[in-house]
Amino acid sequence: MTELTRRHFFGRSALGLGIPALASLLGGELHGEGLAGLPHHAPKAKRVIYLFQSGGPSQIELFDPKPRLKEFAGTDLPDSIRRGQRLTGMSATQLSFPVVPSKFDFKQHGQSGAWVSELLPHTARIADRLTLIRSMHTEAINHDPAVTLFMTGSQIAGRPSMGAWLAYGLGSESKDLPGFVVMISPGQGGGGQPLYDRLWGSGFLPTRYQGVKFRSVGDPVLYLKNPEGFSAEARRDYLDALGAMNQLKLDEYGDPEIQTRIAQYEMAFKMQTSVPELTDISKEPARTFELYGEDARKPGTFAGNCLLARRLAERGVRFIQLFHRDWDHHGGLPKGIPTRAKETDQASAALVTDLAERGMLDDTLVVWGGEFGRTVYCQGRLTATDYGRDHHPRCFSVWMAGGGVKPGLTVGETDDYSYNIVRDPVHVHDLHATILHCLGVEHTKLTFKFQGRHFRLTDVHGNAVKAILA
Amino acid sequence: MAAACLAAGQTIEFNRDVRPILSDRCFTCHGPDAGQRKTKLRFDQEAGAKIALTGGKQAIVPGDPAKSELYVRLVTQNKALRMPPAYMGHDALRPREIEVVRQWIEQGARWQAHWSFLPPRRVEPPAVRAASWARNGLDRLVLARLEREGLTPSAEAGKATLLRRVTLDLTGLPAAPEEVTAFLRDDSARAYEKVVDRLLGSAAYAERMAIRWLEAARYADTNGYQTDGVRDMWRWRDWVIGAFHRNMPFDQFTVEQLAGDLLPGATVDQRVATGFNRNHRTTAEGGSIDEEWRVEYVADRAETTSTVFLGLTMGCARCHDHKYDPLPQKDYYRLFAFFNNVPERGFIWNFGNEPPVVKAPTPAQEEKLTALDGTLRAAELAWEKKAAAVAREQKRWERRASGPWNITKGMVFHQQPDDPKVFEGGKPTRYGTDAAKFDYRDPITLAAWIKPSTPRGAILTRYDDYFEGSGYGLFLIDGKLRYHFIFRWTDLGMRIETAEPIALNKLQHVAVTYDGGMRASGVRIYVDGREVATKVLFDSQLWPLSHKAELRIGAGAGLDYQGEVADARIYNRALTAGEIDVLMSQEPLEALARIPAARRTGVQSEKLRMAFLDTALTPELDSVRCRLEEARTERNRYFAAIPTVMVMEERKDRRDTFVLKRGAYDAPSDEVTPGVPSAFTQLPGGTQADRLALARWIVSPENPLTARVMVNRLWQMLFGIGLVKTIEDFGSQGEWPVQPELLDWLAVEFVEKGWNVKALLKTIVMSSTYRQSSKAPAELLARDPDNRLLARGPRIRLSAEMIRDQALAVSGLLETAVGGPSVKPYQPAGLWQELAGGGGYQHGKGADLYRRSLYTYWRRTIAPPSMVTFDSPNRETCSVRETRTNTPLQALNLMNDVAFLEASRRFAERVLSTGPKDEAARLTSAMTLALSRPPSPAERGILGGALSRLKQRFADSEKAAMAYLAQGESPRNAALDARELAAWTSLCSLILNLDEMVTKE
Repeated sequence: MTELTRRHFFGRSALGLGIPALASLLGGELHGEGLAGLPHHAPKAKRVIYLFQSGGPSQIELFDPKPRLKEFAGTDLPDSIRRGQRLTGMSATQLSFPVVPSKFDFKQHGQSGAWVSELLPHTARIADRLTLIRSMHTEAINHDPAVTLFMTGSQIAGRPSMGAWLAYGLGSESKDLPGFVVMISPGQGGGGQPLYDRLWGSGFLPTRYQGVKFRSVGDPVLYLKNPEGFSAEARRDYLDALGAMNQLKLDEYGDPEIQTRIAQYEMAFKMQTSVPELTDISKEPARTFELYGEDARKPGTFAGNCLLARRLAERGVRFIQLFHRDWDHHGGLPKGIPTRAKETDQASAALVTDLAERGMLDDTLVVWGGEFGRTVYCQGRLTATDYGRDHHPRCFSVWMAGGGVKPGLTVGETDDYSYNIVRDPVHVHDLHATILHCLGVEHTKLTFKFQGRHFRLTDVHGNAVKAILA
Repeated sequence: MAAACLAAGQTIEFNRDVRPILSDRCFTCHGPDAGQRKTKLRFDQEAGAKIALTGGKQAIVPGDPAKSELYVRLVTQNKALRMPPAYMGHDALRPREIEVVRQWIEQGARWQAHWSFLPPRRVEPPAVRAASWARNGLDRLVLARLEREGLTPSAEAGKATLLRRVTLDLTGLPAAPEEVTAFLRDDSARAYEKVVDRLLGSAAYAERMAIRWLEAARYADTNGYQTDGVRDMWRWRDWVIGAFHRNMPFDQFTVEQLAGDLLPGATVDQRVATGFNRNHRTTAEGGSIDEEWRVEYVADRAETTSTVFLGLTMGCARCHDHKYDPLPQKDYYRLFAFFNNVPERGFIWNFGNEPPVVKAPTPAQEEKLTALDGTLRAAELAWEKKAAAVAREQKRWERRASGPWNITKGMVFHQQPDDPKVFEGGKPTRYGTDAAKFDYRDPITLAAWIKPSTPRGAILTRYDDYFEGSGYGLFLIDGKLRYHFIFRWTDLGMRIETAEPIALNKLQHVAVTYDGGMRASGVRIYVDGREVATKVLFDSQLWPLSHKAELRIGAGAGLDYQGEVADARIYNRALTAGEIDVLMSQEPLEALARIPAARRTGVQSEKLRMAFLDTALTPELDSVRCRLEEARTERNRYFAAIPTVMVMEERKDRRDTFVLKRGAYDAPSDEVTPGVPSAFTQLPGGTQADRLALARWIVSPENPLTARVMVNRLWQMLFGIGLVKTIEDFGSQGEWPVQPELLDWLAVEFVEKGWNVKALLKTIVMSSTYRQSSKAPAELLARDPDNRLLARGPRIRLSAEMIRDQALAVSGLLETAVGGPSVKPYQPAGLWQELAGGGGYQHGKGADLYRRSLYTYWRRTIAPPSMVTFDSPNRETCSVRETRTNTPLQALNLMNDVAFLEASRRFAERVLSTGPKDEAARLTSAMTLALSRPPSPAERGILGGALSRLKQRFADSEKAAMAYLAQGESPRNAALDARELAAWTSLCSLILNLDEMVTKE
């Protein structure tokens, strides 16, 4: 039934099903309405802003303080902690695994007393709004499979991304913007591990559910602008004639696809206005830039993207996916991580604060985190001033804030080495189930039949984490 | 859909009506997966469904639903008893589904084996009333169904429409204006057939067929994971084009791609064909665990092969027994075993084709290579002819030869006699950061005389001051001589040492050579001129080395050295064993020359000869020798540049295959041998179960699937939707064929005609069914929205590549060259950098911008955006289902992409400069070029009106017009007025955006 409902909007069977509500098609849409029967329960959040920190930020330097590491510093990671677990090829054959404590201090913040690193002073100030999960874990130990798992629920490419699932299931609330938008910022100097189209792809869902990338170079949406010398008025003339021609064709052939096409050209025209309006931040008051930082004036920065994320949220965009690159500190961590923190801390906190001030945090879920954590042992050369950390899938930290989750809560605990989880593990699938739950979606019931199987974002796993649900 | 097409009063058929319900709702717990079956009752097999239940009950009592537990449990009001169980979160069946089950039981509960596992059989097409409409058996089957449904076929499409349809379908390009004219004028009975034959014979046909195959075969120009390095598989792509062009029978096409390398006397072409199963993605991400990824590649091959040829969802049986089809997990690994014997790595080289590969010269390259071999041979002969003269000259030279000469060719570093030789630790000799730079694919030789006094030290290095650092060098570790070449200690580089320690406090000559081949097997270690046994400690030299450290004797890797080092040398080539002998020979030339020739040792003679050739050859002889060197260098350089293709190959010692628990590489359980799925006829006894046997089984007459799967895809290609809509799934979760007799008729026809693809396509496009008008009257549309009953012709949006190729063709920009390396047409700036940094995408020049889209460079992680916008599969995994969406992003793409704007301008220039001068005739010309038909009066009114408004928009702004026309690299026709051309360009763009333009109708 679900498939039929979808096709009513864009598919060939619109007329065939005899659904009279064809008028709703005439607006033209990218992501349309959702599936019948969704949401499954009353949603707390209407939208998600996912601030993905690509590369694997170190939990040990940011959210998971381990005072005893000072005692263990320089000693080899005990076998009792490592327990023979597999390591990446990048450190598996190291001759030693010396424990290295964080160079950075932690303090407790807010009423909740959440521990936050000195690297994140702004995040520290919103501690009472955060749900901090210090017991995230994953199986993947390399970037590609790990990020792919986070974005699609499977390490092996081919599945739809989380945003695509939600665009498919819940549709868009925005009439002139896509329901799933992606924005990317590099680390300083343009570095970082590469990203891939599939991370916001539609997998086996129809391609229209893939995320639409909003870009800081060239057109904000690919091919959005009319060519130079071709005015909006000329485009109107053009579209009027195009519509009239297509209407003749519709009258002759009766194919509902033609009707949809007419509507989509009108939608394209609307986007030519709505997207520039969205990305035009010239009318934002000075206070905005005090909050988000001056970086927010620069297109393509993480801060700039956070500001756009708020503007997208205001316009009803369902799933706003940010990526910030370059958290992959195999070496040079003491110099690298403060730069990444500086690029992201203020704007991440500002976004939460801004949403709260606008009364939107109640129905917007913000998520912050990377694809895995980092090892307590040093990768590469350990010196008095320098160290690196390899990928660590067995524990890492993610925070959430806003619609559907309990503020001021820290969940989960790791051992003295921040190596193993000792309490309340939360798997990537669990996080997905939780996010879906906040949006009113029962993760086992949002499915799509492909190759004979009813696929879902969480595969055959995952449980919404009851403890953190508000 | 099948059920919706059911005419009233028909009997319920198990396969069509009941199995889909049982499969979808019951098989998970009462199906093929032994791990999930709760009781012996199972509905995937008749015997299992009809067993006696406790309490003397039966699940199915034919004729009596009320006594049939299956039915009773579906309708019971008792939630605890209801199936599927509510406590597991399952919903009850829908009333319609329950009614189907009830009727089926009532009608006798006749069981059928799963349809696609039975061989196709050709049924005699039934008698039809409108017999004259039918041109062939296909038509009679379609018509019989229509008559049963009370429908009549549509009229034949107009000639122009039909020509455009069949030309797009068979070549992916529009009909050229002269082809339209010729066809409209041709009133002969064979007019249409002549067109079909012409199209099937064209190179464009082969290209059109190839692109769908490339998608199925997940073909691309990059590796696909993470850093997404480049690969070169275009020679395989061109093999596919060639095979379609020559109309290679599909059984042969299958066998060569799956197992061409195993055919007796396999040709290069047949080996190239096996690139099919090397097209899967590979990873070069640092830290990747080799075996984890190698297993993934094998799985991809098994799954792709079953999807493409068998329509089986084998992948569902990777972690457990298949939940719906009779494919136990063991079957998956038996199929996997066929593909598990390739000599390959999981963690691969990021910068080119990963072995095994085959050199695949184009015919032109082959010719050139033969010529170069000839030149080389001639140069060798010329040199051999000079042997006597050379010997004479050498003898003369020997009288005056003197000095401590040794090999200089390729020497890039030499420790001078005055340099320190004795090292007591802590005081290395430094030679700077410019000396002896080497990268990982450069051959190298390190050599020295050493007399170590301790068993640990750095002899000759360019290496960080840290043992696990980066660099290269020759070391002594635990008394063993050791060679390091390290980018990253833990996973990128090589380490190799002598099996035995060398003597301390003894002067000896040591040397290491590396051939540049990225494998430790290309490293040799010599002690006192003797090659010694080695132990490979690490072998993963896959990444360029960035040099920072300086060249030093006596330090490196945090070590120093105690003892002597003398006459250390570095060469930029791998010296031969003979050269190493010469190198350790310290006798001066005059001493050697004094020895009578007959009494010299081999090394002594060799050293004299080398010294003579390198230092004292007469200019005349030297030029002969130089010509030989040049000929060899040129031949080798040319050979090195010849493209390779990654191919399938068998290891000599077969790799064992195990069932992997949960599909995980590190959880092997029972060992398995290669074999075909157990539900089918097995390989003939005595056959060696290898890929060739598998390939032959796939196209054997006993295989019920392959022909059906292929004809179904061809049907999808023409009608937009398969006779089995679930193109990739012919199992019990797949769709029951909407016209089973038709599918079987086509499959049998295909095989009987020798798996002849062109013949089958011709049969279909010649049919009355195909030739119908695609107009859809409202009642017909309501009755059959997806045209499954075929009472009208197909009307579907063109595929991504056709939309662009058509625009190029209409504009006259299209370059029709066939094959060759992939090209880079326009792409919005910055797309590569924003995701992956680096230098970004540089679009090509000239003809490269206008090639057909199947030649577009395909970077898997960042696919060409407009192709993806128009629903092209992403080439990450096998994709066989054609999907089409209809979105605003497509509208923006067609209106504003430089590719389409340039095509619009060239299209307008074509109209304005080649056609008539008056506007009405020009409109006719434009529409005919684009759509093979003139505009109707109403269209003429709309287009004419638009043109005059657009003319006004540009009338007073030549500047705007010029800016608008400056799209693309091709020059503007300066003879045309810019404002006029701008208006026409926008009108031509409008035409390229018409629904009809992007639709085959």
